[in-house]
Parts: sequence; C-alpha cells; structure tokens
Amino acid sequence: MMANALKIEDLHKSFSTGFIPKKKEILKGISLAVEEGEIFGYLGPNGAGKTTTIKCVLSLIFPDRGTVEIFGRPHLSPKAKEKVGFLPENPYFYDYLSAREFLSFYADLFLLNKAEKEARIASLLKLVGLEKAAGLHLRKFSRGMLQRVGLAQALVNDPSLVILDEPLGGLDPLGRKEIRDIIVRFKKEGKTVFLSSHILQDIEMICDRVAIIIGGRIINQGTLHDLISEKVLFTEVTVSGLVPAELAGLGESLSVHGGKVLLKVYDEDKVGRVLELVRDKKAKIESLIPRTETLEDIFVDMVRRT
Amino acid sequence: MPAIKTDVRVMPIRIAAKRISGTFLLVLFILAACAGFMGLKLETDKILRKKIPGSSIIYVPSGKFLKYVTFGYSGLAADMIYLWAIQYYSTYEIADRFTYLDHIFAIIAELDSRYTDPYEVGSMIAGKEARDIPLALRILDRGFAKNPDMWLFPFEAGHIAQTQLKDYDLARKYFGKAMVLPGAPDFAKRLYANAALKVTDFKTSWETWLEVYNTATDDRVKKIASNHLYQVKAEMDIDALKEAVAKFKEKYKRLPDELSRLVTAGILTSLPRDLDDKDYVYDAATGDVNPPTMWWKR
Amino acid sequence: MKVGTIALNTFKEAKRDRILYLLFFFAAVCIVFSRVLAILTVGDRVKIIKDVGLASISLFGVLMAILMGTGLVYKEIDKKTIFTLLSKPIHRAQFILGKYLGLALTLFIMTVLMAVIFLAVLFFHTFKVEWPMLTAILFIFLELMLITAVAILFSTFSTPILSSIFSLSFYLIGHLSWGLETLIKKVKPGTGRTLARALYTFLPDLENFNFKTEVVHNLPIPPKIFVYSTLYGILYAAFILGLAIWVFRKRDFI
Repeated sequence: MMANALKIEDLHKSFSTGFIPKKKEILKGISLAVEEGEIFGYLGPNGAGKTTTIKCVLSLIFPDRGTVEIFGRPHLSPKAKEKVGFLPENPYFYDYLSAREFLSFYADLFLLNKAEKEARIASLLKLVGLEKAAGLHLRKFSRGMLQRVGLAQALVNDPSLVILDEPLGGLDPLGRKEIRDIIVRFKKEGKTVFLSSHILQDIEMICDRVAIIIGGRIINQGTLHDLISEKVLFTEVTVSGLVPAELAGLGESLSVHGGKVLLKVYDEDKVGRVLELVRDKKAKIESLIPRTETLEDIFVDMVRRT
Repeated sequence: MPAIKTDVRVMPIRIAAKRISGTFLLVLFILAACAGFMGLKLETDKILRKKIPGSSIIYVPSGKFLKYVTFGYSGLAADMIYLWAIQYYSTYEIADRFTYLDHIFAIIAELDSRYTDPYEVGSMIAGKEARDIPLALRILDRGFAKNPDMWLFPFEAGHIAQTQLKDYDLARKYFGKAMVLPGAPDFAKRLYANAALKVTDFKTSWETWLEVYNTATDDRVKKIASNHLYQVKAEMDIDALKEAVAKFKEKYKRLPDELSRLVTAGILTSLPRDLDDKDYVYDAATGDVNPPTMWWKR
Repeated sequence: MKVGTIALNTFKEAKRDRILYLLFFFAAVCIVFSRVLAILTVGDRVKIIKDVGLASISLFGVLMAILMGTGLVYKEIDKKTIFTLLSKPIHRAQFILGKYLGLALTLFIMTVLMAVIFLAVLFFHTFKVEWPMLTAILFIFLELMLITAVAILFSTFSTPILSSIFSLSFYLIGHLSWGLETLIKKVKPGTGRTLARALYTFLPDLENFNFKTEVVHNLPIPPKIFVYSTLYGILYAAFILGLAIWVFRKRDFI
C-alpha cells in the first residue's frame, strides 16, 4: 500500500487571545490526505486556517488534538522533516546574507558535505533563475526575487514533499507562470507538492486534487474532476451580420460592437437555433465558447453558503 | 522511500514517549543544574575573601553632588545610605571603618537635613565607638544648625560635654540652648543650673534654681530645687567665708579660731547663714568651712 | 554541527549590530579617559585607571550582553525568519544553544578587544603589561556569559524592552546578594529564616565573579574560589539555558 505523502486526521487547534484569555477555535477537525506524487491544492478564504494547518504539520504549532503523518511517520519525529521543504507566506530572510550564503546556511543544517553543497546551490540558483544574483545581499532583492530564493531554500535538501504557503502571492503574471512551471516540474521529478493559495485559476491549472477549508473545516475534498461538473453552464456565441432584435429570445445579449453581437445562450437547443438562424440569414459565427463550471464558481458558492 | 519497518500504530506512541521523556530529561537537567549551583554557592560562601578595610567605599562623593544625582529622591537616598551605614558600622571586622564617619553622616545630613536619627546615631558611634568626642559634638552641632527647633541635639551635646569632657562651661552653654526650646523637659533647666554651678556661675545657678522652685508643679521637684538652692547658697557662702579666712590669715598670719572673728576683724560685715538659717561649720585647725548639712541629705 | 551553523550565523548577524560598536566606542573612551582622570588625582594614579578600566569593561559588557541578547530571539520570531529555520530538522534546543554560542563568540571578541585597549593604556602608564588584570577580566567574561543566558531566556517570551529590564534586575539582584545575607543574619531562626536562606542560595551571586578589588590591590586570591566560581557560573548558565529551552520547546509560533 502506498503511503500518503501527508495525512492529517481530525486536527484541532484553539488559541487563547486577549488580555482576559478568550479561547478561539481555529481548526475544528481537519482531515485530509495527500497522495504521493500529486499536486495538492489547499483552498480557502483568508482566516480559514490554511496557514495554521501548515504550521501544525511543520510543528511550528502544536495541535490540541489529532494526528499528522508525513510519509507514514508521525510529524514530530526528527526524520520526518528530512524530506520536507517549506516556503512560508511573505517570507522574510536574513537580509545581511547573500543568496549563496543564505542557501549555504540551510544546506549546513542538513549536514551536506562541501562538494554536495556547492553542486546543490549552483543547480538551485539556476532552477530559480538567480545565478546572476548569487552574491547579492538579500536586502537588495525584489519581492519576486525573494520568493524565488525562498523556493530555492525549500529545495535545498531535495525534498520529497514540498509545502508552499501562497507561493504565487504578489507576483506579476510572468513570475506566476515561472513558478507554476517549476511546480509542474516537481511533479515530473516525482515530488509531492502541497500548496495553499487563493488564486483559483492557478490552482485549477496545476492541481490534481483540492481541499477547500472554510471556517476551520474542510468543506469539500477531491479531484478537480470530481468537484467540478463537466456540465456546460452557458455558451458564449459571437455573431456578425445579425441585429440583436433578430436574436431576441434566444439568449442574453451581452454586447454589441462593430457589427458583432455577443450572446449568452443558456439552453443547448437554443444554441442550435442560433446556428440555424445564422445559416438561414447567411450571417457568420465569429466564435462559440461553452463555459463550464469553474473552481471560482464552486468556491464562491460554498463561501456564500457557510 | 524507506520501507516502514514498524507498525504504524506503535510509532505515535513511541514518538510521544520520546517527546515526554525528552521533556522529562530536560526538567531533570534543569533541576540538577539548579541543585549544582546552589551547592556551589554554599561552598563559595565559606571561602573568605580578603577585603580591603573600607573597600566597599572606594570613592565617597560629596553630599551636594549626590543630592543632584538622586533627582529628588534624596530623602530615599538618605534612608538607604543611613541603613547601609548602620550595617557598615556594626561590622566590627572592618578595622578602619571610622575614616569616613564624618563624611558619611555629613552626606546623610545634606540629603535629608530634617532626619534626626542619623545625627543621634552618628554622634553615638563617634563618641562611644570611635572615641572621637569632638566629632560627636560636631555631628550634633550640625543637627542643631539644620534643626534649630530640636531641643534634643544641644541636650545630648550637653550631656557629652558634661560626662565625657567634664567641660561644664560647654555643658552649661548647651543646656542653656536646650532648655528654652519647645518640648524640652524640665530637668534641662536643672542640668543647666547644675552646670552653671560647676563653673561657679553662682548668679545664674541661683536664679535658675529659684525659677525651678517657683514653677515646680510637684513637691518632689520643689524639694530638689530647694536642696539645690541650699547647695548654691552654701557654695557661695563658703567661697566668701574661705576668701575671708584667707584675708584674715594674710593680715594676722594665723587662722581665726572662729568665724565670728572675721566680723570683728572687719573683713565681713556679717556672717552668712545657710538656707535653713544655720551656721556654717568651721574647723579652726585646717581653716575648712563646711555646711552643717549635706545638701542632698536635707 | 547544526548548533555550530546557527552559532556562526548568529555571530554574523550580531557583528552587524550597530549598538555593539557604539558601546565599544564608549568603553574605549572611558578607558582612555581614565588616563586623563588619573592626571587629576592626587596620590595613586594607577589605581584609578585600573578601577575605571575594569568597571568600563564590566559595565559595557553587561550592556552589550543585555541589548544584543534580548533582541536575538525576539527578532527571529518577530521577523518570522524563524519559520523557515524551525521547519528544518533541528531541535528547538539546538536553536537556543546556537544563538547562545554565537552571542558568546561575539562577546568574547569584544571583551578581548576591550582588554587589549585597557592593557595598552595601562602599559603607557606603568611600562609593563599588567597580566593580573586578565584574571578579573576573565571572570567578567564569565559573568557576561551568565547575563547573556538570562537575556536569551527572557527573549524567548518577552519583548526586548521588558527583557532588558528583567535582565538588568537580574544583574542588580546578583550584586546585592550580600545585602540579603546581612538581612538574614538579623532574622530569628525559624521557618522564615530557612525560607529566606533558601531564597538567598537560589538567587544569583554575581560577586562570585568579581575579582576587581583583589586584582587592583594585589591581594591574594584563594585558588579554590577560581574552581568554584567557574563551576557556579557554568551551572547557573546551564540552568538558565535549560529554562529557555523548556519555554521555547512548548511555544506556538503563530
């Protein structure tokens, strides 16, 4: 039986805050399982408990109840962290170190020997595209560069499980694409990735399975395929050569622009009727796009429901 | 991926046990270290470190400087230094602790001049332990200078002058200052009168005792006053008589055989009698004149 | 060694702390200024230089230990650099020890530098190297090690300002231990006295590390006390660090 890369069972955590300590329950019984070799997305609005869950896994926080296993090992065992890499949200690093010194520090914590260390650092810097900035002090790094060196740090021990907390936050579209590509490459290398985010499009693009956490509870969990039905919600049809009056009753006219009409058609057979009309009137179909349910739709719906 | 050799159910228990035993070992270590250093402290206490006498005060700053530095907490500073001084001066092993005695109590006076205990205690240490009477008096003088309404300072100074220095004139001056201050006990006056007598200031002594006699509120004090009046008169009279006897001797080259001879010789107009109107006793052989009764036996 | 890695990293961080250089500058000024003061005294000039010099090294050393130590752990927690660090396979104890050793190394270098300046100033006055001063300085360093441990302990759970106040209080209590001893002598024997005695033995006695008077006046020092004082310092520091590790181990880093 293949062990789960990460298995969390019935995790509870409360914090007492305030001058007169008032207990606030953050995690109300989290259970999830991440299979080896997959990219797992952890989704939730701000304050849902994503970061708290991750910190429990990494023993930065001690849960009140529940178990965490990393590759079958209890998460507090010293060996458990040997194969884990972690990139926190909005990371802040020792700004007086250069990128190379920074990676060297963490490499030393894994007791890599000199040769291994040099090789690893060189390859990591290349991976994240920071070779040129190797000798630059972290103080001078931009947000995107910090994110990338943080990712390099998470990989210094060639981990089997990579945990990323909001890795795409604050990056420009190019940066996001680069990170996405790197994450996909992890999967090819056989690594397991656990990433939390609220940029849904990215999750949709790269994750195999997803868990949605709202208010400290897992609301839904499973493959994207299971969560999102393939049902077509509506079809967007762009037609030229017809006036909106002729298309009335078939769909919702979204915009009229330069002779083109954008129509939102809900019924399947109405789409057929539009096509017939176009054929009869010798008009033109500019585009036809069926819109299926997106993660965003589900997510917004779930948040609204709780 | 290493094969999992142990039962997954056992692992959590083992890890939990490891964590608990880790905490247990840590607590044990903390307690052991604590016991260790406490034991060592007992050992180091036993070792006597050579102390330079007075080394606890290497540099003694002036009182004025300290007053500025203590930012308005000079009263508290005075208390602290006074407390420290008491401990310091009770530590008899410090052989030359008196070197800075004057200075230290001067500092306390500067910091809180109305704090009376240090003056008294300082003067006591100076007088009884350091055996420096002038210093003892100086400290009391300082106290009196800063607190001219406190009868205690000249009173104690008078005592010291009288008992230690046997300087009755000084004692008289001190008692004189003390007795006019509010709250001074009655016998301050009597001590003043006594001291005055000792310096043969008969007039002052007589007047003072008369005042005491007249203002006495109970019979005992009246008796004391009258006894002392007797004493003063007796001394006065005896002095006069002795002077007359000496004059007689000078003139007639021999002692008179009785006191009445002094009158007949024209040296005295009349013979003084004591307060009880009795004659003075004269010894023709030695020329001594004595009162018929001792003043305290009346 | 993982502890060594953290120690070296801490050293790199500490030596960039500007407070260090400010304090060092003032210590140097004090030591040199004592030379000037010596000219103004009447009598034994060397004594003043020695007293001021040793006092400066001691005082500024303590300030360095407290100011750097109280910020050390707090900064990591506040700036969240601790998240990446503790997610690596290290024990939290290794973190504390690493921080401590890194700071110890920094203070050692600072003490050595101050000692060199001090001995140099003395040399220009007496034209010989006053080696006995090193005994006092060595034990000053030991005291600094203990204060550093205390600063780190407070830094694990308190803000830098409060930690500094607590650490300073520890220092003051440590030097007023003799006062408590004197007080106890005046208490009547009984439970009160026994409790007071226990408290007295538990509270730090930093005078065990104070050899300034002996060294300045060339008094003999019983060799036993070197051993006992050193052990005392080591065990007390171990105790404090043990407490720090205990506090740190259970802490949640939100």
